Amino acid sequence: MKLKAHLVQIYLIGLFIFLYLPIGYLIYYAFNQADTMNRFTGFSFRHFTELFNDTRMLVILMNTFMLAFLAALIATIIGLGGVMAIRYTKRKIHRKALLTLNNILMVSPDVIIGSSFLILFTVLGTYFSKLQLGFWTVLLSHIAFSIPIVVLMILPKLQELPISMIQAAYDLGAAPHQVMTKVILPFLTPSIIAAYFMAFTYSLDDFAVTFFVTGGGFTTLSVEIYSRARQGISLEINALSTLVFIFALLLVVGYYFISHQNQPVKEKE
Amino acid sequence: MKRLKVFLGSIIGIIIILNFGIIQIQKKQNKTTQNTVTIYNWGDYIDPDLVKKFEKETGYQVEYETFDSNEAMYTKLKQGGTHYDVVIPSDYMIQKLKESGLLQKIDLTQIPNVKYIDSRFMNLSFDEHNQYSIPYFWGTLGIVYNDKQYTKNDVDSWKKLWEPWFKDKIMMIDGARELMGIGLTYNGNSINSKDPHQLQQAYHQLLKLMPNIKAIVSDEIKNYLITEEAQIAVTYSGEAHDMVSQNKHLHYVLPKEGTNLWFDNMVISKNAQNINGAYAFINFMCEPQNAAQNARYIGYSTPNQAAKQLLGKTITNNQAFYPSEAQLDKMEVYQNLDAKMLQKYNDLFLELKMKH
Repeated sequence: MKLKAHLVQIYLIGLFIFLYLPIGYLIYYAFNQADTMNRFTGFSFRHFTELFNDTRMLVILMNTFMLAFLAALIATIIGLGGVMAIRYTKRKIHRKALLTLNNILMVSPDVIIGSSFLILFTVLGTYFSKLQLGFWTVLLSHIAFSIPIVVLMILPKLQELPISMIQAAYDLGAAPHQVMTKVILPFLTPSIIAAYFMAFTYSLDDFAVTFFVTGGGFTTLSVEIYSRARQGISLEINALSTLVFIFALLLVVGYYFISHQNQPVKEKE
Repeated sequence: MKRLKVFLGSIIGIIIILNFGIIQIQKKQNKTTQNTVTIYNWGDYIDPDLVKKFEKETGYQVEYETFDSNEAMYTKLKQGGTHYDVVIPSDYMIQKLKESGLLQKIDLTQIPNVKYIDSRFMNLSFDEHNQYSIPYFWGTLGIVYNDKQYTKNDVDSWKKLWEPWFKDKIMMIDGARELMGIGLTYNGNSINSKDPHQLQQAYHQLLKLMPNIKAIVSDEIKNYLITEEAQIAVTYSGEAHDMVSQNKHLHYVLPKEGTNLWFDNMVISKNAQNINGAYAFINFMCEPQNAAQNARYIGYSTPNQAAKQLLGKTITNNQAFYPSEAQLDKMEVYQNLDAKMLQKYNDLFLELKMKH
């Protein structure tokens, strides 16, 4: 038995080393004094200062995060509505069909979603000359591909909510909006937050869709890094990745505290 | 519910803060179309100090965007919705842009500094009488080798690439015109040949070259040569300059049969919004002092006669980067081929790649 436990431990350690080694390597070279990843010549913050003087990069970074926060927010709200609609669709076959349609979008490759959006937007662009590739098209497509994941994450939780609870609320004289805000939403809160973060990460690391629908001077981080990498990656990118990694770390920790704020007390009881 | 509200509130707060930050940064850069010159150039293809100097001297603000291939740039311009003032494409692309009506005629009287440009680089086939473009940099296609392995005699002619001792050694630049050009030159034909028979001949000649080729790549060549993982490559003089300056064992050679001569020229796009700014920028870049500073930073060959004198003999006496008149006479500029001919080049190139 003991041997088994050890093996599990070794396996886990090996697994995490395997997963984190490339990131660690990248971060290590962010502090390199030289310009390439060929040799580590000395410790310096050079690439970080370079990054902070690169206003173009900073604007892109802020744009990327604002886009992700906003797209995830709107997608969560729309997705929540979708969840309600699917859950309370009367006929089972319709419900199944809707859910399947939702899942197809989850599975279909980003490239196809991206190119279909490009076609849509260029066709629309011929009718409405105001609509040009840029921030709004990227936002719309990010919202669109985030909705299925939101639906998929909230729906199971809603299915857990016994219909009798809602009926009880009505019996006790609650108005429909009260049922919503006092019963359903509080019950769904953890899954809504989880869905939000999922949509957020989806939007943050999307490359393929953004690549298709961006333009007019608006770029996100992944697209910018891609076009810079063609000329050989500068260590500024390493520095940036380090910061984004630290931010992601903080986000995960923050998420942990938000989702466990009230629960631990309850769970302990 | 309260938690959800706090969560929602903080997210909206973050979005507002970010948005505010972006607006602040953009405001600081003080962007108004009246005052801005938008430059669309290759990545890392200008000394950033010159941009600052230009802003200070003229009061214009520069908005700088970059592209990584002529074709990507063409699509962007063609698509519309952009208002680049000055664009810096290569020779054959200028011809194509011109034919697509995406360029504005240049009034040379607005650019007094054009007198400093070497007359050899004016009035070229892709833009006769410089109606649309002013030279920015020029260069060649040639061979880079490492002197630990080879001597100059090993690579001074395209024909020598076929020698058996280069088996699986050569790094080849990834371009249909470039590779086909080598085959055509081998047989003594023009690199702009439209004769199917000559192309077929070149193709068969190149088939024999394939065993010698280690890889057909583009941007990776630089690192391979610098780290000495490869010892010989066919590449552009601009790239070669970077390699030579980073590894002193590397040398750039122009094959004696002649080669491709390329140009990157400044043009004014059809949708330019600030014509005066565009003229001011082009004139500024033609100023000998600035052209010399830029050439020192980028390392490419400058077409500016006066700037060349400022650069000093050690740079301009290097025949690999500033070839003699006799060598220049043997070189050819790419001409834009019509779509069908280009397809033919691409097809042959793809077939070669597959047989590689």
